[in-house]
Amino acid sequence: MNGRFRAFLRLLAVQGAWNYERMLGVGMGYAAEPLLEDLRSADPSRYSEASVRSAEFFNCHPYLAGLALGATVRAEYDQVPGDQILRLRTALCSPLGALGDQLFWSGVLPALIAGTLIAVGLGAGAWVVLVFLLVYNAARLATSAWSLEAGLASGMNVGGAISHSWLPRAARIVGPIAGFMVGLAIPVTASYALSWALSRQIGITLAIAGVGVALSLWFRHTVTSVRFGLVLLVLTVLWRWTTS
Amino acid sequence: MNVLLPLLGALLLWGTLVGLDVVTFPQSMISRPIIAGTCAGLIIGLLSPGTSVQEAVPGGMLIGATLELFALDVLPFGAARYPDYGPATVAAVYAAFGWPRLEVGLGVGVMVGLLTAVLGGWSMQIVRRANAAAIQRRSAALSAGQADAIRALQWGGVRRDIARSAGVTACGLAIGLLVWPLLPPGSENAVWLTVVAVGAGISAAISGAIRNAGRTRRLAWVFGGLVIGALTVVLR
Repeated sequence: MNGRFRAFLRLLAVQGAWNYERMLGVGMGYAAEPLLEDLRSADPSRYSEASVRSAEFFNCHPYLAGLALGATVRAEYDQVPGDQILRLRTALCSPLGALGDQLFWSGVLPALIAGTLIAVGLGAGAWVVLVFLLVYNAARLATSAWSLEAGLASGMNVGGAISHSWLPRAARIVGPIAGFMVGLAIPVTASYALSWALSRQIGITLAIAGVGVALSLWFRHTVTSVRFGLVLLVLTVLWRWTTS
Repeated sequence: MNVLLPLLGALLLWGTLVGLDVVTFPQSMISRPIIAGTCAGLIIGLLSPGTSVQEAVPGGMLIGATLELFALDVLPFGAARYPDYGPATVAAVYAAFGWPRLEVGLGVGVMVGLLTAVLGGWSMQIVRRANAAAIQRRSAALSAGQADAIRALQWGGVRRDIARSAGVTACGLAIGLLVWPLLPPGSENAVWLTVVAVGAGISAAISGAIRNAGRTRRLAWVFGGLVIGALTVVLR
């Protein structure tokens, strides 16, 4: 197994030691180890410094961490001064975080989950779940592999490589699609969950949903969806307990 | 309620795997409620006497789909604290199958799921603080660039998350076991819980979609989807 492949596998657990001090830092250091092995024999003192830098504070979207990892490792081999490498790491945090969040957490993931919910709601079987896992993980693994390769190929020029890549365009395109799919999935899933219900019960459900939306938009910091749901469920238990 | 040890053991194992998937490894989304619920249903169908796979798998999907409405509200951004719906869904499916008719058990399952999800969110904070404390203990080795220290910290974090996921799943299954005797008896009461759970789920998904869209063009797409989805439901 070569160093790149081991680094790629380790990137799948880049958040393994996530913490408030270094965030992804330790995971990045762990993933960098196989890539830095050649440096250990060629330049032991540089290797030691590179190991320290690789585990410093870092945070970004986990699927795009390979871009920063590849770029900084390439810079270590190119003998770029350490302070410049640290500045590069810091500079990459925000763009890689924002791009990854936009592309995956609020784009690809909700779009595919909504697609799965729509299929389930319209009567598809459990195979849909398998299709979701295959499609999502193909996209995710391909992105992670591309990230590492692009980072290693571009080194200190990784910023230009990101801005000229498919990432910003894909992030822009996938957002509206995800919005539409989620909107479509909500009524279909609700109808699926209440397929047995009487019209009076459906009316009450929609009234609860309306109140919940209004409250969570007006008091967005205090009325979260979980709090609203739990409070309502507990109140229902108490109400039925006292009346039955 | 089925308390067979092989069933509980298999659900605990599945809950631990999906809990690990949420953040640590490999984030393949087996932790999404629709996936975790379907597989929990399969486990119940295979290991629970008197429950067939043909009825348990769609049941798990139904509970997973309902909890997915809540999970759509969550964006797992970096340091944010968010409910952990993976182990929660496993516990929810187990709790819901305590009732002979699943649509009646759905509300109770969602209640157990939400409680477990909140517990899971808190437990993530504890693990993150424990990881930070471990880093402080090894700060000298990290400053010296010792690869052993980095490896130990990484694997320590993974082990903590395995323990966390197992603990949250075990608590969720325990809540699922205990909740039925505490509820007012009668299927009408359970139906009310289902109506409330689905209503709260719709509310979570809509408000989450609106918040995520902000004041951008995406908001129009959300409403377009809602209208077409509602028409699809009415015309079917």
